[in-house]
Amino acid sequence: MPDIHQSVPKIDAKEKISGRMTYVADMRYDDMLYAKTVRSSQAHARIRSVRVPTLPEGYHVVDHRDIPGKNVVKMIFDDWPVFASDTVHHVGEPIMLVVGPDKRIVQTLVDAIVIDYEPLNPTFSMTDSVVNYHYDKGDPASAFKAADTTVAYDYETGYQEQAYIEPQGFIGTYDDERIHLIGSIQAPYYVKNAVIDTMACDPDAIRVVQATVGGAFGGKEEFPSLMGCQLAVALNKIKRPIKLIYEREEDMDVTTKRHPSKTRIEGAIKEGRITALRIHIGIDGGAFIGLSGVVLSRAIIAATSAYTVDNLDVSGDVYKTNTVPNGAFRGFGAPQMIYAVEMFFHHVAKHLNVDVHDFRLKHLAKQGNHTSTSGLFRDPILMPEMIERACAMSDYHTKRKAYANPEVYKGIGMSWFLHGCGFTGSGEAEHIKAKIKLEKLPDGLVYLRVAAVDMGQGAKTTLMKVAAKTLDLPLERIRYENPDTDLVPDSGPTVASRTAMVVGGLVARAATKLKKTWIDDEHQVIHEQYVQPDYVRWNQDTFTGDAYPAYSWGVNVVEVEVDKTTLEVEVKHIWSTYDVGQSLDDNIVLGQADGGTAQGVAYGYLEVMRHREGKLLHKNMTDYVIPTAVDMAKTTTELYNNPFALGPYGAKGAGELTLVGGAPAVALAIEMAIGKRVHAIPATPEYLMEVLHHAND
Amino acid sequence: MVSHVIPKTYAEALTVLKAGNHRVIAGGTDMMVRHRAWAGLPPLFDKPVLFAFTLSELKYVKEDEQVICIGAMTDLETLLHHERTPALLRQVIAIMASPAIRYVSTLAGNIVNASPAADSLLALYALDAQVVLESTSGKRILSIEKTIVGPGKTVLHDDEMVAEIRIPKTRFTHTMFRKVGGRRADAITKIGFVGCATVNEGIIRDLRLVFNAVAPVVVREKSVEALHVGHSVKNVLSDTDTLMHHYSEHIKPIDDQRSNQHYRKEAALRLARHFLDTLA
Repeated sequence: MPDIHQSVPKIDAKEKISGRMTYVADMRYDDMLYAKTVRSSQAHARIRSVRVPTLPEGYHVVDHRDIPGKNVVKMIFDDWPVFASDTVHHVGEPIMLVVGPDKRIVQTLVDAIVIDYEPLNPTFSMTDSVVNYHYDKGDPASAFKAADTTVAYDYETGYQEQAYIEPQGFIGTYDDERIHLIGSIQAPYYVKNAVIDTMACDPDAIRVVQATVGGAFGGKEEFPSLMGCQLAVALNKIKRPIKLIYEREEDMDVTTKRHPSKTRIEGAIKEGRITALRIHIGIDGGAFIGLSGVVLSRAIIAATSAYTVDNLDVSGDVYKTNTVPNGAFRGFGAPQMIYAVEMFFHHVAKHLNVDVHDFRLKHLAKQGNHTSTSGLFRDPILMPEMIERACAMSDYHTKRKAYANPEVYKGIGMSWFLHGCGFTGSGEAEHIKAKIKLEKLPDGLVYLRVAAVDMGQGAKTTLMKVAAKTLDLPLERIRYENPDTDLVPDSGPTVASRTAMVVGGLVARAATKLKKTWIDDEHQVIHEQYVQPDYVRWNQDTFTGDAYPAYSWGVNVVEVEVDKTTLEVEVKHIWSTYDVGQSLDDNIVLGQADGGTAQGVAYGYLEVMRHREGKLLHKNMTDYVIPTAVDMAKTTTELYNNPFALGPYGAKGAGELTLVGGAPAVALAIEMAIGKRVHAIPATPEYLMEVLHHAND
Repeated sequence: MVSHVIPKTYAEALTVLKAGNHRVIAGGTDMMVRHRAWAGLPPLFDKPVLFAFTLSELKYVKEDEQVICIGAMTDLETLLHHERTPALLRQVIAIMASPAIRYVSTLAGNIVNASPAADSLLALYALDAQVVLESTSGKRILSIEKTIVGPGKTVLHDDEMVAEIRIPKTRFTHTMFRKVGGRRADAITKIGFVGCATVNEGIIRDLRLVFNAVAPVVVREKSVEALHVGHSVKNVLSDTDTLMHHYSEHIKPIDDQRSNQHYRKEAALRLARHFLDTLA
């Protein structure tokens, strides 16, 4: 096999492009029933009564009273009910399922159910903290005391919707006292474990299989556990195949989104350097905490992004509001913080009236520096050359001089960023404990038994390449079927930029073992389990130590032109350099780069989602605007090779890195074009018009 | 469930309309969305439906010396490439929706849908288009302004359908079209503007300013335009504030999920001012 980074055709490309691929919505069984969810119309209310019309034969309702186990979806914080019982906490909260053979009749029944609510006082502002974290680095109090001056700014970010092509969905069957769920999911074992708790059943009674996933972006990390639990309850009651597929609007209305955030950063400045930062980020968790606390962790750990600041006082809160619960989304809290930090460094430089580029370079993190959480940047950091290259490719320095003229309405912005690869802190070692199996059949075919999900990002192709390369076998001899919890051990969820590095690392190790012990014509099974590198030390209570075993790094440069009359933004070009360790397939990494950058840049200037009194205003792809091919600028991307000793062939994470720098880069470009500071994203023409009228500088 | 008719001829279509209370579907790009149902179920129409898109008698673009006549079922993609299509209309169609939508959508559908944000209406208002309505009892020819009376509201009778759109041939020395959408393609308009003018030796001979998505119907104030015809560009430009003030009364946009009234109003007036600046 040639070098690992050399691209091969993605193994799922043909079936997907030709339209032959089967998704969960395409599956059907004889005697199959359809389920539709009855939802709360209220943001916060007590349910006085639910009036269900007389059900025709063969039609059922399923609600909290049918749950054999706990009425809670097992996640990190167990506060999310499977079905609302006496109180609803957000518009769209599921109350019951109506199940039956004819969709028309199911819909009629859903429409005929009358729920009597006693309204309660809803909260929409970020005031009710349910999770609070704090950490210090160094001695921030002394640094602030000793400062020449201090500067403080506020930043805000909005919702972002994952906008996967395929809405969420499951199909389930009940056979031999077992519940079998097939779904569009990122984390088969999250679903299985959640269902076990809800059903209070033996683990063997639950089988979860991943259907081909048409995009996820984090949106199918924890939310499918909710649907899976509901469907399991229905299957247990009705004992016939049931399909539960969301329509686009239902999906956008009720599934998790990126947390809106408010960040305040205060900097202590001495002799032209930032000596300390006091940072507070608040994120809107929505009605239930779910994964919000973990999102908050990643956000506060990203407090200094690609810079080193010796003294930090960082805190954050998850606020509970009566809105749709927010959750996992590519970047997982980091995009909000990195946007704020990048803007802050620019705004401070402007305030001090010094060259922004030089000012930033002074603070750039170097190998051997302490991370935000007082861990160590152990591995080489290639940022100086990546920055220089990005400047050269984009002609950054010439352009930023030319665009300083306020009459030209053009701008160029650059962001520097990192992304911690894998679960935060000791998550891998203590919570996930990833296991994989490599199974060689007598015919010589090698099966990857992993729970990792290919949701379009190329996990199958890359992990199969790792196995093939290590075993020195052609790719055709490697097999990787969609995970089935009956067949694969729990290698963890497909999240947190961990799959290539962590699961791929286990595959490489197992393949090395298999190669050493290979016996022709024999059935051989190799087991492998994650072992935390012994140098990684993490204290979750104080947020100190190595938050991640490795970091990926990136630089984005975005050039824009703003229309003088309407203030519409046109993105002209995006240049990027990335260090993802060793690329496992150049085309796949570049695909991640283009997609991530599109999503990250659009987060900064285009994608608007708001709610009014808890009702989302943008719930279809007409109203929620994501970039089309016409909006997407040309991209130029270069990858840097910086192998990480513990990743397979040196690979680190690539999935989220490419998103996290897009928003600050485009916001900084817009800021240059209009000559005013951008303190909130998305920086829409409406926002810019307001800024032009009201803001100074 | 409701019944549907697919007439073979235009005459049959008119007869069906006379007999019942049918909703006419041209390309269906608005109707199918509005009446969508749970995937796998038929759309939720509230009335019987007449599918007119197959009526080849209504697919044509003809002209005489003064007027271009467009058959009601001519799709936008055809118009985009047709040599007789007025340049301004072609310019508008080029950025409408997506190619797939343009292959089935029609001007007639845009007119009857009567959305204040419809892009094609900007051009039709600016070009003084007339709409031919027909039923078994005969034809009516109305100006576009008289045809549309409110958001989603037209003066069509239940037994009538749009037969043809007539566009007088007009030459301008200056035209400008701008659509502000949420993105650069496949977007619903936040605010749109068309300006047309003929300037001769520094004197404005013809002036048309049209705005959409800023009021319940497309805004074109012929009385305000008339105040400026015959005046020098210089004069008009020396006091654009007065002109803007006139429009300010008619531009009353709303806050919705796509934009807000403040931005819409300001962007609309800025576009008009920008157009006037180009006349100098």
